[in-house]
Amino acid sequence: MIRLECDKRFRELIDRSFLEDLSEDERQVIHHHLRNCDGCKRYVELTTRTIRGLRDFTFTGKQDSSARVLEILANHTETVRQHNVQLKIWAAFAVALSMSIVGSALVYQVAKVLAAPMHFDNAQVQAGVLVFWLLPSLCSALCLLAARGENRGIA
Amino acid sequence: MSALPMPLNTTAETETAKIARGLRERDIRLLADLVERNQRRLVRYLLYLIGRRDYAEDLAQETWIRVLQRGSQYNGRQRFEPWLFAIARNLAIDNLRKKRKGVEAASLPDNRDEILLVSSTGPSPFEAAARSEDAIRLAGQLQILSPLYREALLLRFQEELSLAEIAQVLGAPVTTVTSRIYRGLAALRSAFEGGGDSPGM
Repeated sequence: MIRLECDKRFRELIDRSFLEDLSEDERQVIHHHLRNCDGCKRYVELTTRTIRGLRDFTFTGKQDSSARVLEILANHTETVRQHNVQLKIWAAFAVALSMSIVGSALVYQVAKVLAAPMHFDNAQVQAGVLVFWLLPSLCSALCLLAARGENRGIA
Repeated sequence: MSALPMPLNTTAETETAKIARGLRERDIRLLADLVERNQRRLVRYLLYLIGRRDYAEDLAQETWIRVLQRGSQYNGRQRFEPWLFAIARNLAIDNLRKKRKGVEAASLPDNRDEILLVSSTGPSPFEAAARSEDAIRLAGQLQILSPLYREALLLRFQEELSLAEIAQVLGAPVTTVTSRIYRGLAALRSAFEGGGDSPGM
């Protein structure tokens, strides 16, 4: 019966040799020790065999496993893309709406100044801004929501 | 001799940078390539971690979705595989936590790793995968071995990750990694102790 016990330092060195590169001196120490210690020789053999055994496991996955994953990823990518497009559309609509409101306020102020020499009253200016500026710009903003994705230029 | 690793490192950097860019852009062709190259390894890792075949396949799918969602977090400075395994590991632990929360009203361990220590039930996936006499001997031991040791052994001796990479996957110091590998090896060595020599020895 071979004694598997040995000096702890040698065992630690042997263990390390399976995980990392040892220095030349350390390799020499192990080499020399193994020539004289049957216990450690057996220890190295068993460890080598264990590691070799660990590499002899072959797990065969389900044949369509990768294909299924790819299909799921493709669907997921498409969903995310559509979600992003929706987000962009709402963001564009919000920008267009605020520009329309701010723009209308500015146009109204300018129109009031320009209308004074032409003797238009306030109601006429308001109607003009509403018909020729506010409504068209609101319609343009709403068109963003109604148009098909590929026609929005942001899909 | 010392000049040899340089071109290899440069190639590896280019490759990882390409992967990082592709993941940021959600490049489906790159993802297809990554799945093709890593799906089998991912399932194998999850098998070692949780010891159940059916569950491992499902978790692998979820892992890839997570890769797609969090692709921008991969910085391309390290290899892709440790990052992938780390995602899979976190996902497995989170899923096990959720599952066990439902079953066991009692408090779950605070340490994330400890959730893996609750033994898995079901048929051993290792016996079916053993391809040599030595592997068959190890299969039984692997099934009862702590998943923490099992995964460290797999990452080192099958995936051939460096100790630092394994530490990254496990979120643990390198000393913990080496200690788990030594303990795992010690437990598995017992499968051969008592004179069970293989024909090749």
